[in-house]
Amino acid sequence: METPHSTTHAPQGFWTKYLFSTDHKTIGIQYMITGLFMAAVGGFLAYVFRYNLAFPGESIPLFGQLDAMHYNAFVTNHGMIMVLFVGMPFLVSGLGNLLIPLMIGTDDMAFPTLNMMSFWIFLVSCLVMVAAFFVPGGAFGGGWTLYPPLSASGYVNRNPAFWSTFFSATPMFILGVALEFVSMLMGGINFLVTTINKRAEGMTPFKIPLIVWFLNIATLDFMVSVGPLVAGAVMLLLDNVVGTGFYDPARGGDPVLFQHLFWFFGHPEVYVLLLPALGVMGEIIPVFSRKPLFAYRTIIYLSLIAAVLSVVVWAHHQFIAGIDPRMATFFSIGTIIISIPFAGVFLSFMATLWGGSIRFTMPMIWALGFIGLFLIGGLTGLYLGSSTFDIYAHDTYFVVAHFHYTMFPVVFFGFFSAVYFWFPKFTGKHLNHTLGMIHFWLTFIPFNVTFFVLFFNGLAGQHRRVNEYSSFSNIMKEPYITFEKISTIGAIVLMVSQFIFLYNLFISLRKGRKAEKNPWDSNTLEWQADSPPVHGNFNPYPVVYHGPYEYSHPSSEQDFVPQDNPIVLKTN
Amino acid sequence: MAEQTLSVSLKQVPQGRLGVWLLIVGELIIFGSLVVCYLLYRLRFPSWVEQTQHTSTFYGGLNTFVLLTSSYTIVKANDAALKKDLAKMSRYMLTTIFCGLIFLAVKSTEYAHEIGAGFTLTSPGLQATNPVGATFWSFYYIMTGLHATHVLAGMVTLFVVWLDARKGRNIHRVELGGLYWHMVDLIWIFLFPLLYIAK
Amino acid sequence: MTIFPENISTYGQEIDRLFYTISALVAVAFVISLFVLLYPLFNNSAKRVKKATYFTGAKRKHFRWITFALVALALSDFYFLYAEHGAWVTIEQTQVKPDFHVSITGRQWNWAFTYPGLDGKLYTPDDIVINEMNSELHVPINKNIVVDLWAKDVLHSFFVPNIRLKQDCVPGRMIQRWFKLTKTGTYDIACAELCGLLHGKMRNFLVVESQEKFNGYIDSLYKKNAPALTMTNPSN
Repeated sequence: METPHSTTHAPQGFWTKYLFSTDHKTIGIQYMITGLFMAAVGGFLAYVFRYNLAFPGESIPLFGQLDAMHYNAFVTNHGMIMVLFVGMPFLVSGLGNLLIPLMIGTDDMAFPTLNMMSFWIFLVSCLVMVAAFFVPGGAFGGGWTLYPPLSASGYVNRNPAFWSTFFSATPMFILGVALEFVSMLMGGINFLVTTINKRAEGMTPFKIPLIVWFLNIATLDFMVSVGPLVAGAVMLLLDNVVGTGFYDPARGGDPVLFQHLFWFFGHPEVYVLLLPALGVMGEIIPVFSRKPLFAYRTIIYLSLIAAVLSVVVWAHHQFIAGIDPRMATFFSIGTIIISIPFAGVFLSFMATLWGGSIRFTMPMIWALGFIGLFLIGGLTGLYLGSSTFDIYAHDTYFVVAHFHYTMFPVVFFGFFSAVYFWFPKFTGKHLNHTLGMIHFWLTFIPFNVTFFVLFFNGLAGQHRRVNEYSSFSNIMKEPYITFEKISTIGAIVLMVSQFIFLYNLFISLRKGRKAEKNPWDSNTLEWQADSPPVHGNFNPYPVVYHGPYEYSHPSSEQDFVPQDNPIVLKTN
Repeated sequence: MAEQTLSVSLKQVPQGRLGVWLLIVGELIIFGSLVVCYLLYRLRFPSWVEQTQHTSTFYGGLNTFVLLTSSYTIVKANDAALKKDLAKMSRYMLTTIFCGLIFLAVKSTEYAHEIGAGFTLTSPGLQATNPVGATFWSFYYIMTGLHATHVLAGMVTLFVVWLDARKGRNIHRVELGGLYWHMVDLIWIFLFPLLYIAK
Repeated sequence: MTIFPENISTYGQEIDRLFYTISALVAVAFVISLFVLLYPLFNNSAKRVKKATYFTGAKRKHFRWITFALVALALSDFYFLYAEHGAWVTIEQTQVKPDFHVSITGRQWNWAFTYPGLDGKLYTPDDIVINEMNSELHVPINKNIVVDLWAKDVLHSFFVPNIRLKQDCVPGRMIQRWFKLTKTGTYDIACAELCGLLHGKMRNFLVVESQEKFNGYIDSLYKKNAPALTMTNPSN
């Protein structure tokens, strides 16, 4: 048995240990902290424009007046930041870095230096996004989907003196996103190589925990789908900065081409975020049901099918964008079909609960909340998957409510489940249960208050990205005016209650109950390492004998069998 | 079982090679999308044929020859590296980098030639008379320009690898740099007929 | 409180009906899934069940329930895809015989309406163009109205909630849609695609009126534009 060599010389200085570290755990935490910071930025933007929608024209506390130009910029940046600069570092880079090496039983990523580099590129991309708010002309306000010709020509923000210079909002927005892609591609190569190449002895493909599978499928999906958007973004950048005509109809360009390139990435991106979140649920639910994950292999096959389908459904975002109506029918069918494998995954998670011995710990409650909310998000997707209903619902608040019901549970409930579950592992301290419960209910209820009413506003015909809806007096009447206010109050409570979480993190780090190696009686390899794991994780490297979900096995006395436990399980 | 044999045989691939292969897949998808966009426009505008008359098959062909030669020399460099023949390996690597330099020089001459004739990224002169044709030149510059950037990146990579490898350190990286270089070559093999031959 | 704004088009109720059909399916699916989720939470808490039952779901016998559910989901999905297809064809793929033909151009930031001039044909020099913020588009009731949708500068989206019609307007191409309205009145025309600074202020009105009133409106337009018409119309 080889012994991990890196355990012997862990870096000691502050700079190498906490800042320019190549250790996957430090990098994972760095990603998550950066994500938290960006979430604060994105949340503040949401607070400002949500307040403006409910009380148009009034001065916003902590901000002031919001004009149309800043409204557009804030809506745009809120979208892009929450998807690419919060969701990605939380769920893909953060969780991937923290968990993959530990769960497959190795010391670090395949390319630690590359890993560090991808984090620093990511940090730069975040800074570029934030800095864009402070350049003359303000941040980019052409919608997070970046549709040309609006984004290609400089008149988004009506600032002709600056639009042609490089340090104006649009090029910075595109560059920020491009750098983020570079960082994620580098991280993705690392994930795939690590998982393929560095698994512990005995860890065959079907002994890999679900979340590692899902992180890799998500990474692969990302790598396949992002290429067209990179090409499209280069063309958009040149259109914007140099004045080429790739998307200019007067010069033979086609604005709809960009929409195809964007959504070819944009739709799989939803699954890039969804899959790791599902993976978190796949780890938490079996542990706290004390039961094997129901239909583990089938779940993997279903999600592989879904990943393949995800790159052929993109045009359902463009049903009314002027594409061929027959093509829309094809994509409508594809969209409806993709609901089937995901329904299978969700039902398997629910089936895991049946016959279990369920423990209502903090992570479990977050996981159950996720499933409940995503159920609404997924089912309302059926309305929009229908191309005919989409004629009416497209670009209304119905869509806004729908994708918040999918993205919010995925990004935040997924993240919180993961934090409450793995916090003891990576800090050696337990989070406070009471504060956690308060945090859960003050997130779950305000979230529903915020977004459920918006379904009705959307059905009433209220369309998106309008800063003062009062000018549409036929649509914006009671009860929809009240609904706007209810939604805003819900959003504010939702955001304020996140301070409980930050306080919980802070207080538990300092005074939390000490966590033992395996506080949840879990099987997977990360729980067999120390809490927190030392540099190099394992000494010696573990050898894997069992699948990750052998809970309550009849031939074992304990109700859990760690993957590296050499006892023989009788199968019947 | 089949998936287990597959996973075992994948596990035997050195991780560096695996990483470079994944990088190559990512790059090929980016270039592939550009090529698809170009083809979509090309099929829509038959009048682009007029514009393709102006691209220089001579410079393009010369560059194809240069790149193919460089692919050969990098293979020889890798052979020498496997035999631990450092002097020969070093010579072949430098030849490859030199071929890259020639490629860029030819490319610059070609660009100078085209710009002199009024064909630039935006082709302002052409825009007045034939705005659709001007977009062909945008595609021409974006595709060849992005490719030339990759040639430059490949040269820098090979140079960095050479700095170590000539002293016998990290010799396995010669192969990885070579893989990347082959990808750059492969992309050119697609660009050359699309932009220079199909007239 | 009604869920939808008042419907004034012939095909609008098909979309409303589709909404209720999908809602019924979704409600059934939601209730069943909620039961599947909540039942074990009450029944199988660690207090009640000390030791979990070991089954992996790898056996076909166990997975059968999920297969049933997925097949049911697939069948109901395809049922509503089938149910909706008629409406999709009506709205997007039908060529109607136009009783009245009008051209609509999205620009920053209003909708411009072009009526055919005296010759009754669009895109001739005597067309009448109305290009102001908050202007009105007059159309006759109970007639097939065909609209040519254009965009001048950036993407716009022609959206009349009461018709249940929304269509993006793309610079460089013309997209044709049609509607037949059944109720007189004044309704909103919005732009549903972000089009820049005053996207939210882009509001015009659709005035549906009887054929007589509509004829009177068109006559008044001719009178207002008469000097220009005599100069540009070659027949004079």
